[in-house]
Amino acid sequence: MMVKAMTSHYRRHPLQLLALAFMIVVATMLWTGVSVLTGQARDSLDVSEEAVAAREAVVRSDGQPVSVVDFVALRTAGICAAPWLETTRGDPKVRVIGIDPLAMACFDAPPAGDGVGELAGDPFVDMSEVAGQPGQLSLLISPGTGALPNGYQRKEFRLGPATGQLADSFLLNLDALSLLVLFITGLLVRSVYHLGLAQRRSSFALLERFGVGKRQVYRLLTAELIILTLVCVLPGVWLGQALANRLGQGFGLALDSLFDLSLYGSADTPVPWQAAVVMMALVLGVCLLDRLIPQRRVSRDKPAGPGIFPAWVWGIMAVIGLVMVMQAPSLIWVFIGVALVFAGVGVLVPDFLARCADVMARRRIQSANAPLGRWRYLELAVMFRNLALPVVALQFAMATVLAVQALVTSFESTFEQWLGQRLSAELYVEVPDGVDARTGALTLAQMDGLDAWHRVQHGKATLRGDSGDATGTDLMAISPVTSLVTGWTLLASTDAPWAALSSGGIMVNEQLARRQHVELGQSLRVEIGGQSLDRIVVGIYADYGRPAAEVLVDGEALPEAFTPGFQSFSINPGQRSVDDIAQRLTADWQIANLTIRDNASIQALASQVFQQTFLLTRAISVLTLVLASLSLLVMGWVFFSTRSWYFQLLGVWGVPPDAVRSQLRQLALLLTTGITLVALPLGIWLTWVLVSRINPLAFGWSLPMAVYPGFWIELGVVMAVIGLVIAWLIGRQLAGQESLRPGANLIDGGER
Amino acid sequence: MSDVVLDVKQVSKLFHSGHDRVPVIENLSFTLGVEQSMAVVGRSGSGKSTLLNLLCGLELADSGSITVADHLFTSGRSAVGPDEASLWAALRKQRIGVVFQEANLMPAMTLVENVRLRASLAGQSAGEEMHWLEQLGVGAQAHRFPDQVSGGQRQRAALAMVFAMHPALILADEPTGSLDRQTADEVTDRLFDIQQTNRCALMLATHDQVLARRCGQCLDLGEGA
Repeated sequence: MMVKAMTSHYRRHPLQLLALAFMIVVATMLWTGVSVLTGQARDSLDVSEEAVAAREAVVRSDGQPVSVVDFVALRTAGICAAPWLETTRGDPKVRVIGIDPLAMACFDAPPAGDGVGELAGDPFVDMSEVAGQPGQLSLLISPGTGALPNGYQRKEFRLGPATGQLADSFLLNLDALSLLVLFITGLLVRSVYHLGLAQRRSSFALLERFGVGKRQVYRLLTAELIILTLVCVLPGVWLGQALANRLGQGFGLALDSLFDLSLYGSADTPVPWQAAVVMMALVLGVCLLDRLIPQRRVSRDKPAGPGIFPAWVWGIMAVIGLVMVMQAPSLIWVFIGVALVFAGVGVLVPDFLARCADVMARRRIQSANAPLGRWRYLELAVMFRNLALPVVALQFAMATVLAVQALVTSFESTFEQWLGQRLSAELYVEVPDGVDARTGALTLAQMDGLDAWHRVQHGKATLRGDSGDATGTDLMAISPVTSLVTGWTLLASTDAPWAALSSGGIMVNEQLARRQHVELGQSLRVEIGGQSLDRIVVGIYADYGRPAAEVLVDGEALPEAFTPGFQSFSINPGQRSVDDIAQRLTADWQIANLTIRDNASIQALASQVFQQTFLLTRAISVLTLVLASLSLLVMGWVFFSTRSWYFQLLGVWGVPPDAVRSQLRQLALLLTTGITLVALPLGIWLTWVLVSRINPLAFGWSLPMAVYPGFWIELGVVMAVIGLVIAWLIGRQLAGQESLRPGANLIDGGER
Repeated sequence: MSDVVLDVKQVSKLFHSGHDRVPVIENLSFTLGVEQSMAVVGRSGSGKSTLLNLLCGLELADSGSITVADHLFTSGRSAVGPDEASLWAALRKQRIGVVFQEANLMPAMTLVENVRLRASLAGQSAGEEMHWLEQLGVGAQAHRFPDQVSGGQRQRAALAMVFAMHPALILADEPTGSLDRQTADEVTDRLFDIQQTNRCALMLATHDQVLARRCGQCLDLGEGA
């Protein structure tokens, strides 16, 4: 009977229980999904960085992919070669690596029981398990291996990224976003739960009168919460795994395109119990924190105030956070600064809004509509104080959504501009391995009717500092320098930068300029192809596609000994046909087939990858907004309900029903508009933090600070709709009541 | 067990308002036996509700002693010990039935569920709920929620709850305060009938002179503080 008494509130208010359950499920799903993906990514990073150090790959000189036949040929020739097959398996498909421990036994691997060393366990599987799967086969050899048989060449083999640190930063960003969502969820869950407790307060008091001790009530409440949390967290974990599977492909594409990091998985994905434990701890922690004390009841005469510390302390905390964000040398300090700002803002905003409402109420005294207008603003002040927690949570959620949307949209528009710049030619030709690209260049130079073309060589270079320290960078060489590149928008440049480049200058990408503090006009000592060259920096270019450092030189200025790792041609065919160009190059290079790609299709593919890249981030921010909006809807409705007696009094005093409903609508809209207005400056500030502080620290490049008022309006409309729904629900409730409630002392309405 | 259910000796209660201490009840003494009834009257603010709260442990006296059903509570201590709080709770659970003017029912349970809850807490077996509700004239409303019935019906249901626990002492604060004359008379009649039948002591705080005259004793708290 006691259990029935304790749970009777939710029997009559099932929507509250459903809202609470929904929030816990969705939050668990989000947290689990992100944890699974970032966990996989971190494991993949470890695999990449540790597992394949100091190994090379064997490639065929004719450019054809290696096969089992080549493996046999190499082993027969006495070469210690081992197969390495990257493939997928399972349902849903996860990426795994098939290895042959027996073949690897001849490597200089660290001592281990099976000779495989750190390659044991997921994502590594025995080759026999995946031999028949389609995938990418490589043949690895140790660097000390002697000469290779004819028809084979050695090539550096690296799974991962020289960008490990930046990939880690990307993952750290995702973790930080997830933590922010977790924090917001905690506030929301606590708000809804404690509103329910406040409504049940009279029942608890009644039980106390009946002789039921507070401790017994508390034990039952704790048990109720534990059961609810268990019931919700478990399906949330399952949904989170499904979310990770759904978004995993896009996430993997993002890591691959941004950081050359492959996302490896395990065929037997373990249940992420850690995520479940975290969510349970969060829900139980925020709800049971102050035991049975419900939300504070406040009156106009005794405003809620900041609580533990006086207001000025929170204000100073926010200012310290602002300064910390501006000066922080690393991501962690930026996050701490953001946390301080959020803490200060979160405590001060509800009281600030309430005081604004009080000011508006005082101004209404002289107006013709004084009584109702004044009443409306005074009610609003009470609501801001009593709904402090959900107001703050919604403010944070909206600010996060605004900032993430601005970041992604800025990135998207900048990325598209950059793509359009880099893919300005119509055609793209990849130079096959083993052919002499110079003959191709000669052919194109002699071909009449071509609009423009250039050859691109990618390779490695080394920067030497004044103290002799070496920094490896990527190198891009373009020749000839034509209109295909001279139209680039440079972040900084000398006069006639492209002419200066052709005269022996060098350009650097933004990532390198930031990390090495390179400036225009600075002299750089760069080693290319074994030669040490001093070059003047004539330009800094944006390079959003990759986080690695890069230098750009004129291809004609490259030393003879330079061996490019990868080459291509960009061509505007003009009057020549694609077939004609393909025929000429095929004949010159004496190959069977040549693939010429349409850059427009590459651009479309890159955009598609981009969309996938931010799918997870958008999903996180949209779901957060859904959670926060639902919370405000539920809490707003419940809170308005507790004050419905006062709305009914308006009717008692002669205000027509339509006018009462109008007052409700205005009140609800003022509530949601107030929240939107305080979310906007926080969202704009957070946008600046993302594009100007976090992005450069994490990715090495900055984005332009842009705001998108269109999205603000969309968000404002969503909030207005929530307000109107609340007002409609309450209006319906008031119209449905047959009589006035006898006695205001039954109502838990705040101050009386 | 003696026939004295309630024995109050030199009980005082002060209200603290800032630095001031305002006496609400001063050196009050009285006894109440089985089957006896007492009306507590006085102007608003004279301490009627406070007295009832003291007699069921919802508030603590600043001095004096209260004996309820042979359990002695001596006040004057700055904080109640855990044993004393538990004892008061046990008494409210099984021996003392309390009825206030409003908010006596769990809002999310029907009338019959409320009665069943109260009886089960008191250790009484199930099955008598409908009997008591019908005795108090609200049997037809048994399966409705409190906000679906009138104030008078709620008060009757609250009384049914109290009688279902078979208490030794009933404390009622303005039990007919929100009722019309006719309903108040009906409720009063049932109240005293059942009180006599169940041999419990009854103490009422009331402004209602008709109700006060029905009681065997009258305690006038006068003008109060």
